[in-house]
Amino acid sequence: MALVAARYALRSTRRNLRRTALSVAGIGIGCALALFADSFNRGRDRLYSRAVIDNGVGHLRVVPAGWRRSRDPQLRLAAGNAALAAARELPGAAVAGARARAQALLAMGTRVVAVEMVGVEAEAEQRLDRLARKLRAGRWLRPGERGAAVLGQAALDRLRAELGDEVLATAVGSGGTIESAMLTVVGAIATGSEEMDASLCRTSLADVEALTGLAGPAEVTVLLRELAAIPAARSALAARLPAEDVMTWEELTPDFKGHIEQDAAFSRLFTGVILLVVLLGVGSAQLASVLERRREFAVLTALGTGAGRLVRLLAGEAILVGLAGAALALGLALPVLAHLHRTGIDFRSLMGPGWTFQGVVVEPIIYLDLGAWVLPEALGISLAATLLATLWPAWFVARTDPAEALRSLP
Amino acid sequence: MTEPVVVARGVEKVFGEGAVAVRALRGVDLEVREGEFLALVGPSGSGKTTLLNLLGALDRPTSGALSVLGRDVAALGRRQRAALRLRGIGFVFQAYNLVPVLTARENVEFVLELQGMGAERRARASEVLDELGLRDLAGRRPAELSGGQQQRVAVARAVASRPRLVLADEPTANLDGENAEVLMHLMRDLRDRHGMTFLFSTHDPRVVTHAVRVVTLVDGRVARDEAKAGEAPHEILPGVGRAEGARP
Repeated sequence: MALVAARYALRSTRRNLRRTALSVAGIGIGCALALFADSFNRGRDRLYSRAVIDNGVGHLRVVPAGWRRSRDPQLRLAAGNAALAAARELPGAAVAGARARAQALLAMGTRVVAVEMVGVEAEAEQRLDRLARKLRAGRWLRPGERGAAVLGQAALDRLRAELGDEVLATAVGSGGTIESAMLTVVGAIATGSEEMDASLCRTSLADVEALTGLAGPAEVTVLLRELAAIPAARSALAARLPAEDVMTWEELTPDFKGHIEQDAAFSRLFTGVILLVVLLGVGSAQLASVLERRREFAVLTALGTGAGRLVRLLAGEAILVGLAGAALALGLALPVLAHLHRTGIDFRSLMGPGWTFQGVVVEPIIYLDLGAWVLPEALGISLAATLLATLWPAWFVARTDPAEALRSLP
Repeated sequence: MTEPVVVARGVEKVFGEGAVAVRALRGVDLEVREGEFLALVGPSGSGKTTLLNLLGALDRPTSGALSVLGRDVAALGRRQRAALRLRGIGFVFQAYNLVPVLTARENVEFVLELQGMGAERRARASEVLDELGLRDLAGRRPAELSGGQQQRVAVARAVASRPRLVLADEPTANLDGENAEVLMHLMRDLRDRHGMTFLFSTHDPRVVTHAVRVVTLVDGRVARDEAKAGEAPHEILPGVGRAEGARP
């Protein structure tokens, strides 16, 4: 914009300071709310994804070809050791561990509980699955230890078992035979969710292999250092393991992903409604500002100012109001976001200490996201809102008939 | 013989339609040559402002032929008329109509900026303001100026780009006698120095005395078109001849 036109735009915003201040306040508050909503959404998405990933799902999982469709726990990797080695050599991998699963019944006396028995590598699993760190009593599995199991507290309670007791594990073997083994309870896990605790059983990979008669791991789970590294890591693993399938955490938990997307859509709708209200308010103020200056625009048109130029003049004013709105939004939002980024919003009093969804324990403390995205988003929302709000008044101005306006307006 | 700046043949302008139609102009014939200093007079409602709007390409005639600066106004679209006004026509309004948030110099510069003039526009604006005796008031906004000073700024804005045609609608209507006199002298000086064509409407008989040619409109028609005795257009500006369309 040229020099005098820029001054015109700047000073025009000061013609009716109260109206300009209200417009800036409307944009600033609306934009601050939108920033808060987005920060909350990002924090919640991160909470959900971390909950899923840290719950043992990992960022990536190498599974047998065909498992994606059938989800058959009896399938085993074609080359489990090679898969584990490839995962551990992956740049950006924090930890990788092998597992095998079996649907099993645990019995003690006349009491029986159904569990998902997961055979793990003791050391790696403690880093892969935060449930392994939620011991309420006893200890975790030791590397190379056989015949030991860590159960959920609810499973223990239902079996009326205690630490040190032996429980009978029964599962279907590879040929369809029923196989059994005795396991000593060495630890109890309390996730905060009784439903989860009732079906939780961790033992060694070797014990599951022996019980099921199926050799080798059924999956290799990889925890990466960064979420953003998933696509590259996946490609690298898939290239090295052509006989296996590599799945992301989102593919492994599609229902969870759908829930996150549903929440995000609702949040976007909420933000959209806020911005629409702001848009209508600012649009109304802009229209009033233009109507007051109809004669001035008619004069400018008479002097030869084209419609495009008039629209640019109004856009210049809108940009100034938008920039002020963005500054106000950042001023309002940043301290709040910074505080809640640090302390989080604790929903435990509403949801309990461990809220579970789709088999994932979620600790309901949402730490708001705060990053470089805030600045461009504040500018983008404010400028888009003010420029959109200026469209109708600008169209009105562009259609001004100078002769008619000069004749009829005082 | 100089080129005609304005050629109107049977120009009519009708506002509204049917029973409520108002025939503001009823066949105006007029030819204005370069360098004329022409007063458009007539009673209220005679069509002066309507004719000025047509001559300024702010509006298009309902019928008849109207050429302004060699362009057929009826055939021009909105954008082309805006370009014609920007490049060739200056306007002075009765109510000054300066942009209130800009200073006197910025008001003048604004038009030059719209025309795409570069860094020299500030010097040009200062030069024109000097010519109109406004050097010391260049930094003031319209609200800080008297009516006479505002109208001089409006004249400066109109002539800054050296348009060939300057149209003024009742330029002295809001001024006292002294300021009206000053303004008319300044306008004639500008016309004498730069050869612009000035065409202004007025009710003020004192202002009419400054005109070289007086066209009287009555009921939307040219009732009289006369050059002032002893002051024919060609005598005022060397090289400018009597308008061919002028009638005694």
